[in-house]
Amino acid sequence: MKRWALLAAVFVLLLSGQPAAFAQGYVPISGSGSTWSFNAVDQWRKNVEQYGMRINFAANGSSAGRNDFKAGQVDFAVSEIPYGLTDGGVKDVEPTRGFAYMPIVAGGTAFMYNLKIGNTQVTNLRLSGQTITAIFTGAITNWADPAIKADNPGLNLPARKIIPVVRSDGSGTTAQFTTYMANQYPGMWDAFCRRAGRATPCGFTSNYPPAAPVIGQSGSLGVTNYVRQPQSEGSITYVEYSYARNSGFPVAKMLNKAGYYIEPTAPSVAVALLAAHIRSDLTQDLGDVYVNGDPRTYPLSSYSYMILPTGTESPFTVEKGRTLSDFAYYFLCEGQQQADRLGYSPLPINLVRAGLDQVARIPGSTKKPTDINKCNNPTLSPDGGNALANSAPFPSACDKIGVTQCAEGTGGAKRPTPTSNTSAANNGGPGGPAGASSTSDGANGAGADSANPSDNPAVDAGGDVAIDPDTGQPVNARGGSSGALAQPVSLGLQDNTTTALLASLAVVLFLGLIVGPPILARVLRKEDR
Amino acid sequence: MTSLRTAMSSSRAEEARRRVAPPGGADRVFRAMLRIVGVLVLAIMATVGLFLVRNGSDALGMAGWSFLTTQAWQPDSGNFGIAAVLAGTVLIALVALCVAFPLAAGVALFISEYAPPGARRALVSLVDLMAAVPSVVYGLFGAVFLQWNLLDVPRWISTRFGWIPLFTVDGYDPDDPLSSQTVFASSTFFAGLIVGMMVMPIACSVMREAFSQAPPGEREGAYALGATKWGMIRSVVLPFARGGMIGGTMLGLGRALGETIAVYMIIAPVFVIQPHILQSGANSVSAMIAQQWGAASPFGLSALMAAGLALFALTLVVNFGASAIIARSRSGQESEA
Repeated sequence: MKRWALLAAVFVLLLSGQPAAFAQGYVPISGSGSTWSFNAVDQWRKNVEQYGMRINFAANGSSAGRNDFKAGQVDFAVSEIPYGLTDGGVKDVEPTRGFAYMPIVAGGTAFMYNLKIGNTQVTNLRLSGQTITAIFTGAITNWADPAIKADNPGLNLPARKIIPVVRSDGSGTTAQFTTYMANQYPGMWDAFCRRAGRATPCGFTSNYPPAAPVIGQSGSLGVTNYVRQPQSEGSITYVEYSYARNSGFPVAKMLNKAGYYIEPTAPSVAVALLAAHIRSDLTQDLGDVYVNGDPRTYPLSSYSYMILPTGTESPFTVEKGRTLSDFAYYFLCEGQQQADRLGYSPLPINLVRAGLDQVARIPGSTKKPTDINKCNNPTLSPDGGNALANSAPFPSACDKIGVTQCAEGTGGAKRPTPTSNTSAANNGGPGGPAGASSTSDGANGAGADSANPSDNPAVDAGGDVAIDPDTGQPVNARGGSSGALAQPVSLGLQDNTTTALLASLAVVLFLGLIVGPPILARVLRKEDR
Repeated sequence: MTSLRTAMSSSRAEEARRRVAPPGGADRVFRAMLRIVGVLVLAIMATVGLFLVRNGSDALGMAGWSFLTTQAWQPDSGNFGIAAVLAGTVLIALVALCVAFPLAAGVALFISEYAPPGARRALVSLVDLMAAVPSVVYGLFGAVFLQWNLLDVPRWISTRFGWIPLFTVDGYDPDDPLSSQTVFASSTFFAGLIVGMMVMPIACSVMREAFSQAPPGEREGAYALGATKWGMIRSVVLPFARGGMIGGTMLGLGRALGETIAVYMIIAPVFVIQPHILQSGANSVSAMIAQQWGAASPFGLSALMAAGLALFALTLVVNFGASAIIARSRSGQESEA
């Protein structure tokens, strides 16, 4: 009897110890939304698993995420655009439950493409905003188009059809891209909308109008998968930079207002977003980002937002608030360090601070005191400026408009693509003397030189014999024989008469094989009789 | 042998047709239960139909008859209809049947007539396994692997038979070495191919059942008259199982019409009637619902419900048609008489 009592006592102790243990643990929470920022959210989600936080995140597109949050199906949503915007004549009404916007990460909407010249993958394509708009509205349909040639004087692109791949589901990436087109090139964009049967002026939309020649695929992974297929040569799509990096594909460098073609790296996104106007509810106005005059700007940069509940309407509870707030404290602080590695750009300090204020509004928030100086956020600088933007390298001279482009690759494909150019100074990547002289903005010239220590071999080698820093070979030794320098060749038409003759011969042979044996057998049998 | 045994047992049952006891409590309870279950099935069907009608009436009232003729889907600006998606659904289902029918009939015949007993058991469980694979797996397989590795098949068909309007592909020129292969991907053909693979096991198991019930007496009769195995199958098994073959195919058609996620993953949605089955761009009602409902406005949701109602009605018609065909064809009982 005594033993039983002892056992029971131990059991009771264990049970009473349990709530204390649970207090350390977290209630699972779930969210849904953006595929644009999925790669970052997913990594953070995995990182906090070690603290016992179970975060479920379904990447089903920003539109679906906002609807799920509105319908009370998820605890939080991630979206590129806020509620209350009018898309296709319908206003996306705000949810009745309390909510707040919190920026989570910055990034660039990149143009990932699959293109070859001969057998060489093109990794250094450059496109202006106008050319991109023309491609995605069906105005330019061929890679050999003069407009693309003007962006890429160093490449002889094949006369291959362009396959613009777009998102078929409601997507924040589409919303960001179409906002840009509607803002910068309303004429072309409205013409496309009219062709697709939409009312104009079209404005931005989360659902890309499905009209030829665009091909729709669902989700960022869907479009990425389509473009990365070896059979999809000639396709181009818009996704967050991280998707291109993860799949080992290049992205197009995009022309900015200062006349430079820029890749959406973390620093160039940070520079671009210095021009973003943040409204009082923390949402973004990107109008000035598109026309940011800084030569290091990637024009299609934006922030991604988490939509947080500020009330305890179902399904949200105070216990869930504890999990969500600690998760948010994690990614606003430590999480930002990984942004660059994941293919995004870290939030600047002022937005981290504003975000922390929002986290404190979550019901049940742990209100963890966070010292931003200890977060190791790459944008932090002692003087209060944006360190990442300040130290961002200036573009090489070969990134300038009208000049033969740099050979080095972009995104997930860093292999250089040889360019057809006779002048070694322009060709050998960041050529020293050319760099200084052709960078007309005097202030930037010094920056370009100091940011590119690899100039030196080219400078040492003298004016006309530049050495490729990767291979150690003289740059202009390539001549015209290299793959990417292929010249277009017109093929003679196939000999149709031969084909027809062979085809008819094949048909006769085939019929003979089927009909012949039975006839032969019958004839032989008749002779037997 | 089996027929002999059933004949014996039935004659014994006739002798004992005298009721031992009047219908008692257990009998009545059992009958009531069965009745409830039977009514419940009808009630569930009616509820689904009513739900769709009630929720879709908003959109249907606004669109009117143009709902059946419009080839667009922008419910929020009032321009929407199911002409394109309904045609796409039927085309995908037909391609699926073209794939599934010969495959199912062949496998079923092999299993029931030719396969050695050991292989038979393995084959039956393999085909059942095919039915158990979730459709999202088929979708992944189709979208990421199959369609990209099989692009040469539609290209060949289009090159050789492009003069048939069904197989024409716009923007494909066989003489142009730089022409893009993607015009053949994410097409009705590949969606139908994958759906056909998913439908095959169902059709196959129904057909197998029908083949194995071909009366042994008639089989032996055919042999006695000097028929070869193929002759016996042609003159006894196939005519006997015609109802089962049609029934299995129709059952497959029902599933093919409603298949969602695999189609959704493969196709590149378009909202015009796409009669070129090899060309990129297809759509189906269920894929459109899956693709749109997450981000739909309240009215958009109503329009999707109306589209669902149309699919519901189409499936109902197909299934009633199937049962009518099966009822008219020769059934097992008649053959024994």
